[in-house]
Amino acid sequence: MDSDKRGPLDGLEEGFIALTLGLMTIITLANVVARYLFNSNILWALEATVFLFAWLVLVGASYGVKKTFHIGIDIVVNSLPAPARKGLTLLAGLACLTFAMLLLIGSWNYWWPFASSRSFYETNDLPVPFFLTWMGDVFNEGEAYEKLPRFIPYFVMPFAMALLTFRILEAIWRVAKDEQDLLIAGHEAEDLYEDADDAVHAQEGEIR
Amino acid sequence: MAVAVLFAMVITLMMIGVPIAIALGLSSMAFLLIYSDGSLASVAQTLFAAFDGHYTLLAIPFFVLASSFMSTGGVARRIIRFAVACVGHLRGGLAIASVFACMMFAALSGSSPATVVAIGSIVIAGMREVGYTKEFAAGVICNAGTLGILIPPSIVMVVYAAATDVSVGRMFLAGVIPGLIAGLMLMIGIYVVAKWKDIPKQPFAGIREILASGRDAFWGLFLIIIILGGIYGGIFTPTEAAAVAAVYAFFIANFVYRDMGPLTVAGSEANIPLYRKPQALFTAWFHEDTRNTLFEAGKLTIMLMFIIANALILKHVLTEERIPQIITEAMLAAGLGPIMFLVVVNIILLLGGQFMEPSGLLIIVAPLVFPIAVELGIDPIHLGIIMVVNMEIGMITPPVGLNLFVTAGVARMSVYHVVKAAAPWVLIMFAFLILVTYVPIVSTYLPTLLMGPEIITR
Repeated sequence: MDSDKRGPLDGLEEGFIALTLGLMTIITLANVVARYLFNSNILWALEATVFLFAWLVLVGASYGVKKTFHIGIDIVVNSLPAPARKGLTLLAGLACLTFAMLLLIGSWNYWWPFASSRSFYETNDLPVPFFLTWMGDVFNEGEAYEKLPRFIPYFVMPFAMALLTFRILEAIWRVAKDEQDLLIAGHEAEDLYEDADDAVHAQEGEIR
Repeated sequence: MAVAVLFAMVITLMMIGVPIAIALGLSSMAFLLIYSDGSLASVAQTLFAAFDGHYTLLAIPFFVLASSFMSTGGVARRIIRFAVACVGHLRGGLAIASVFACMMFAALSGSSPATVVAIGSIVIAGMREVGYTKEFAAGVICNAGTLGILIPPSIVMVVYAAATDVSVGRMFLAGVIPGLIAGLMLMIGIYVVAKWKDIPKQPFAGIREILASGRDAFWGLFLIIIILGGIYGGIFTPTEAAAVAAVYAFFIANFVYRDMGPLTVAGSEANIPLYRKPQALFTAWFHEDTRNTLFEAGKLTIMLMFIIANALILKHVLTEERIPQIITEAMLAAGLGPIMFLVVVNIILLLGGQFMEPSGLLIIVAPLVFPIAVELGIDPIHLGIIMVVNMEIGMITPPVGLNLFVTAGVARMSVYHVVKAAAPWVLIMFAFLILVTYVPIVSTYLPTLLMGPEIITR
């Protein structure tokens, strides 16, 4: 399948996924350590983790479309002859595209007020990093932000949905050109097979 | 009526090959736009609230990560060695040991497919070498793997807790006794079949081997004590416990077992001890293996959470339309007693479980049946365990059974053959489901004993 080929952005997306999950884990752990060893709390830890979580999943969803790892039901489409399967898959692609575009509009409508008329809305606990201190002048009528403004973490919504729309368009194109069969993994096991392969080869004979 | 259209749309979209997550999300949006005056911006807000408003769900990525480190880091192999040493000498011993190993791995991991892969990829080959049929081996593993979501920690229980606001800790405790019973029932089933079919047994490995393998597996098994002890000792929240578990698993895999990361030696030679290469303490964090494990766990998290987030949109629609209340009134007006109600819940979940991913299904069904259960005086924890066991059965029955697909991959069989191989053992799981449904004390005894009686706030 063509989606197995590695594109130039793959490394970036994979790195993003690994890094985000790693950061979430470390921040949460650091908060526990701070509580028990230093008897204090990292105030912003929970909020930062939650936002990283949202970024991980929403941005990752488009990577899932690119690599076809979202699961679905393949029993019906796989029992059909190839032309009918292609037709239905294209229809499914259209449904996905509708989903992504509606959400893109919704996300924009949701995010834009935070970036314009309500740009004074701040997060609860996240501090403003030093390299962003100029933002108050630009977005908040010259008044410095005490906390990170909300439009920054919320930006993931329009960004991720735009990316999702793009990846779905690409996937539909691949289906149309017969480079890809379905939009779903059918099951999540494909790369687990490879892991299992390695494990079996590494450990064959050791367990009796 | 409109709601019937909504569900028809979900099913139709899934049938033509739309990913489950998008089928759920798109149908809900269409419903909001056509039948209700919801705005697209509010849908986007609901989607974001899946992360922002449900702190409980934050435990999922960490449990996934812990289980990834456990799988790649050689924990499964040591658990299996220990299990074989303990029960391998019984008739059908290797199969019984596999169930035992699945139970132990389930106590470290919150997912069923992960349990099948970790244990199955090693023991299925092992069982075939000593003369078990492929079908027997695959059928046993496919079923025993489902214990992954029943024995705590469990991702599905975290989802149930998030959907109904019961305590995660209570749910975890409630799973312990049912998990042990289910494992025992499978073991007894295997023993009976093994006697009947005269399946070979292993020589007794000796007390020394039990102690040695037990000591070797100890570092991995200690994780369950960190998780449960941490939660019930009030040291961590469940989310923090999951994160601590992930980091602990990272340390064990990299520095104690050294089966991944900078201290690994390819092949059969011994791995490098830490004192020979102390810089590993630093390099392990950036090692390729660590990155890959994070990435694989990230992928699984994305797949799961995207379904859950979209299921939450659907749940939002149902709640807005007061569907749970309508169903509750209808069912109570029909004079449904607790026993019939539980039968209905089982049927809904078994049917739904055929087609849906467990977490997504729970998010949708739990709010529908929860209010009725409370009205009828059914313990929410008991209801939760019933749901989890239903999800287990859903995972081993076609067409959408994650465990079937994973087992097919691990055992190198067609899904069709795995379905046939698993079928006899599914009967045991059905018997177990009936037991759990009608004997509530199995689920509620331990949480009530350790945490006091449940207080229902709604």
